[in-house]
Amino acid sequence: MNGSTAVADNYLSHGRGFRSWFFTLDHKRIGVMYLASIFFFLILGGFFAMLIRTELLTPGRTIMDADTYNQVFTLHGAVMIFLFIIPGIPAAFGNFVLPVMLGAKDVAFPRLNLLSYHLYVVGAIFSVVSILLGAVDTGWTFYTPYSTTTHTSVVSMTLGAFILGFSSIFTGINFIVTIHRMRPPGMSWNRLPLFLWALYSTAIIQILATPVLGITLLLLIVERLLGIGIFDPALGGDPVLYQHFFWFYSHPAVYIMILPAMGVMSELISVFSRKHIFGYKAIAYSSVAIAVLSFLVWGHHMFTSGQSDLGNMIFSALTFSVAIPSAIKVFNWLATMYKGSIRLDTPMLYALSFLLLFGIGGLTGLFLGALATDVHLHDTYFVVAHFHYTMMGGVLIAFLGAMHYWWPKMFGRMYSEKAGRLAAFLVFVGFNLTFFSQFVMGSQGMPRRYYNYVDRFQSYHVLSTIGAYVLAIAFVVLAGNLIHSLFRGRKAPANPWGSATLEWMCASPPPHDNFAEPPEAGDPYDLEHLVYDESIGGYAPRTAREGA
Amino acid sequence: MNRLPSETTGAGAAGVPARSARRLGMILFLLSLSVLFAASLAGYLVVWIRAPEWPPAGSPPLPAGLWLATLVLLLASGAMHLAKSSIRAGRETAARRALVLAFALGLLFLAIQIRNWNALGPLERSATSALFGFTFYMLTGLHAAHVLGGLIALAIVAARARRGAYSASEHGGIESCAMYWHFLDAAWIVLFAVLLIGSA
Repeated sequence: MNGSTAVADNYLSHGRGFRSWFFTLDHKRIGVMYLASIFFFLILGGFFAMLIRTELLTPGRTIMDADTYNQVFTLHGAVMIFLFIIPGIPAAFGNFVLPVMLGAKDVAFPRLNLLSYHLYVVGAIFSVVSILLGAVDTGWTFYTPYSTTTHTSVVSMTLGAFILGFSSIFTGINFIVTIHRMRPPGMSWNRLPLFLWALYSTAIIQILATPVLGITLLLLIVERLLGIGIFDPALGGDPVLYQHFFWFYSHPAVYIMILPAMGVMSELISVFSRKHIFGYKAIAYSSVAIAVLSFLVWGHHMFTSGQSDLGNMIFSALTFSVAIPSAIKVFNWLATMYKGSIRLDTPMLYALSFLLLFGIGGLTGLFLGALATDVHLHDTYFVVAHFHYTMMGGVLIAFLGAMHYWWPKMFGRMYSEKAGRLAAFLVFVGFNLTFFSQFVMGSQGMPRRYYNYVDRFQSYHVLSTIGAYVLAIAFVVLAGNLIHSLFRGRKAPANPWGSATLEWMCASPPPHDNFAEPPEAGDPYDLEHLVYDESIGGYAPRTAREGA
Repeated sequence: MNRLPSETTGAGAAGVPARSARRLGMILFLLSLSVLFAASLAGYLVVWIRAPEWPPAGSPPLPAGLWLATLVLLLASGAMHLAKSSIRAGRETAARRALVLAFALGLLFLAIQIRNWNALGPLERSATSALFGFTFYMLTGLHAAHVLGGLIALAIVAARARRGAYSASEHGGIESCAMYWHFLDAAWIVLFAVLLIGSA
């Protein structure tokens, strides 16, 4: 009964052709379209990364000239930040999972949701067109006054980012309203799955921080086009004002990236430790605390920009305070695993990688938040390594974990565990090889963004580049495995991992309407009542099994 | 929890969001826009504080037409309120007329603003005085762009009202539109006050 009727009509088979997808109001299809688009840009950004690493294999020219190199690292940053990592988990998995986790049929505003996706596509087109018009070479931060004077297509790229901002705001509004108004009977705030707490906190930042990026980029565009502006010192403006504006958005934006990743972690750690999450409220409220604190620390990007000493000290102290809610989460995850019956399935391997890599990324952040050490480490590869340990070791790893966790739900197929674990292992090894060497050379003074370097750094650069190639191989294995599963994978049961959140109560893949009747929500981490059923190859509630 | 039964499923069968969802969505949207205006004002304040002299010597006074624009915008907001209270009481014709009035007042506001911009003259090229003009155009222009957006939304709502789409029980479009116009009002008053103090 469980599987056979669901196969007849699910969201994938409900309507065929381009229009039925591109103009759909179904949050699941929108989520899948986001996933495909975002994954495409992950590959594109990764391609630029490979070019960077190949160029840096030797000092001086390896495969491109210095100007091209500036463009390539800018594109790597801009594509990864604006098109992959900011929308990443919320837009792809949030869209797919959030309504189903609430037992709802869709988000609160399905049309607005589709508009968000279309804005994402338009913003992406502007960004990609800028590559053809003369790729930007400012770095992804578009710092003035260089960005108002360079001859590359800054306007197109920033306009793209501006439009993507709208997409992000609308998604945020949609998620908050959906969580407020559409929770099913029985789901009080303290029974909201932690992934949704994370998305909720993320949405607060999306709504309150993104407009600042909007006005900043608008002012930048006006300054470029009219030659009058408030950022160029030659015109009476202040370039540090640009940095304040930019980081007032872009620092909270790193929490737009990491909070959903932490939400994924809370789900994975509990399910694959077969244990109730430890410290539910602490994890939930620490998400909100991170969202609030994220607005108060932007100045730590300007310790060396001529900010006042008092300002530096305040921002430094506030920066350290962010470590508290982050550590609360990590220790609660560890406590959840303690005495759990840990299963090393692919999603859990990513979760464990996250714990270690994000731990390193977070702790090295303290050196950068401390004024005395930051003066030495500022603008070196140490920053690059720190950033990648949090954003790639954190967000990307969680993104991959989420992808492997919800893949059976999204497409109704199981991938090969063996290949999945191999890819996860290769990602872990390749990642550390690439970026740990960057910590070392950064602390020895290798500046970031440089095209050339002195010979003594070469061995670190070679290691880093080898790591990048290992990562590329890992991604080929990973993508091959997932694509293979679509055609040859075993049919997925409704609940392959034994999770208690509501999305696992409907079929895999879910029917068009998700649920005929809003289901009754219980404790989302009460895993005890779910037992493995050999006959369906997945988990089922204890009572239902005994009744059968 | 005082939730209506229809709200527990959120989107209804026709994809029409429940009233409380729509209201909350609007509030969040306006919150987001407030941050936009707040950030712009913060930018203005920084330029002001950094300038050796503010307003720069020889800059023209703020056009008196800004007071007239304020009055017209307040009236437009009042007309929107009238539209909302009329439709709530089931007076559909009165609501339609109020919407048209609000639209006309909104257009008038934009016309007055264009006159005000012309009155201030072209941007000067010397650094500080150019910034004085630039910040004025930036703030009022940003607001005018949002008025323009409000007019487009209002035109759609007015057209739907003509077709009889709204009733005493179902008038989400009018309500959202009214919220937006009240916001434009509030944003303008804060903005105008800062400009007045800045140019005094």
